[in-house]
Amino acid sequence: MPHQCTDCGRAFDDGSKEMLSGCPNCGGTKFQYKPAGTSDSESTAEPAEPPEPPEPAVDSTVARTVGNAATAVRDLVSSSSADSLDDSGGQSEQSPTSVTEQRPAENHAQASARSEVVSRDELPPAPERFRAAPQTTQSGQTTHSPPEPEGVTRDEGNSPSKPPASTPDDSTAETADSQDDSHEESSRPDLSELRKELNDQFESIRVVERGQYELNLMELYDREEYIIALQEDGKYTIQVPERWND
Amino acid sequence: MGLLTGLRSSISRAASTLFSDEESKRIGIYGPPNAGKTTLSNRIVRDWTEHGDAVGPESHIPHETRRARRRENIEIERDGKTVTIDVVDTPGVTTKVDYTEFLEHDMEKEDAVRRSREATEGVAEAMHWLREDVDGVIYVLDSTTDPFTQVNTMLIGIIESQDLPVLILANKIDLEDSSVQRIRNAFPQHETIPLSALEGDNMDEVYDNIAEYFG
Repeated sequence: MPHQCTDCGRAFDDGSKEMLSGCPNCGGTKFQYKPAGTSDSESTAEPAEPPEPPEPAVDSTVARTVGNAATAVRDLVSSSSADSLDDSGGQSEQSPTSVTEQRPAENHAQASARSEVVSRDELPPAPERFRAAPQTTQSGQTTHSPPEPEGVTRDEGNSPSKPPASTPDDSTAETADSQDDSHEESSRPDLSELRKELNDQFESIRVVERGQYELNLMELYDREEYIIALQEDGKYTIQVPERWND
Repeated sequence: MGLLTGLRSSISRAASTLFSDEESKRIGIYGPPNAGKTTLSNRIVRDWTEHGDAVGPESHIPHETRRARRRENIEIERDGKTVTIDVVDTPGVTTKVDYTEFLEHDMEKEDAVRRSREATEGVAEAMHWLREDVDGVIYVLDSTTDPFTQVNTMLIGIIESQDLPVLILANKIDLEDSSVQRIRNAFPQHETIPLSALEGDNMDEVYDNIAEYFG
């Protein structure tokens, strides 16, 4: 219970919405921020409101996550913009702040965790829980300019050439997906060509589609056994040489 | 099996020497689809056997022949000599078989697909025969079409690598677009004989050469 009404002493969990319109008990608008560690001493005031915990507990974890995220982002970016995050959930100072001040700070933390990082530039190696953010960052970069293939080639170095799949939409995750798709499409011809080449080398009969076949005459000529029946799935029945020579 | 097979083959060999001067040579009639291989086979059989049964049905639709068919002990007499051959009419050899090609001939899709599959099996069979079971090759080409194809080059190459005697026939000389010279240019290392298997044109020269090459 990081927040406590300075008038009546009622405690609120981090991220609780109850205090947005003032303390439900006394209508007070000033709240004191208390980190989890120090709240034990004042736990006496809490038992007054047992029903609250379930809901706030969820919120608190969310808020904590956001707070952690904000901290991590701040550490990574270490820019002036991160200073504004100091007021967010995971802080140690006990500073009485008004609701109106407190809330925007959290919102800002959340916003920065989601959006600010997106628009920020270099954040290549991010913690695991930030996997979404770097992706969007990459996509943000890619939508800006053609360097997007860099990200793609880094993912899969197999494809040497790819058409500049310019995806004008800025939607983050979708952009990333569509990029992957377009990349897959662009790399498909290479794979199919390779496959074809291998088929040409090793397969005597290739089923292109139902009723469409490609034959490697040399393979057919070279093989000992005699293919006597084909199936649609590319399997075929052979007759062993001994039987053939009877 | 070895003993029986040996016995049987020796008997058949003895029998064949009774009726002809030499052992029968198995001659594969090869070529791309629709070159006229079956028409030629039928003509040879009708010209030189009493019953004259057809080797197989002829058709303008490609891949009509999808199984190799053999007619044995065809005796061809030239200049008082008899040459005995087994004629093996093989399916047209190609590198691609596509059922849509048959749809143009008013064929139902399922029939076309089945024909395509059988034609592919036929090519496999033809290639197998070439590897195992022929003593010589009559390579039939449609003289109205370009002979410079991958299939022709590859097959002729395989035949040459096996040191099989090969006779190239430039078929369909009865058609306007026919160009025998184009085939001669494509395979100058081999004898090319013009003919029309359908009309029976120049068959005498064909038989002369068969006797000479495979006798």
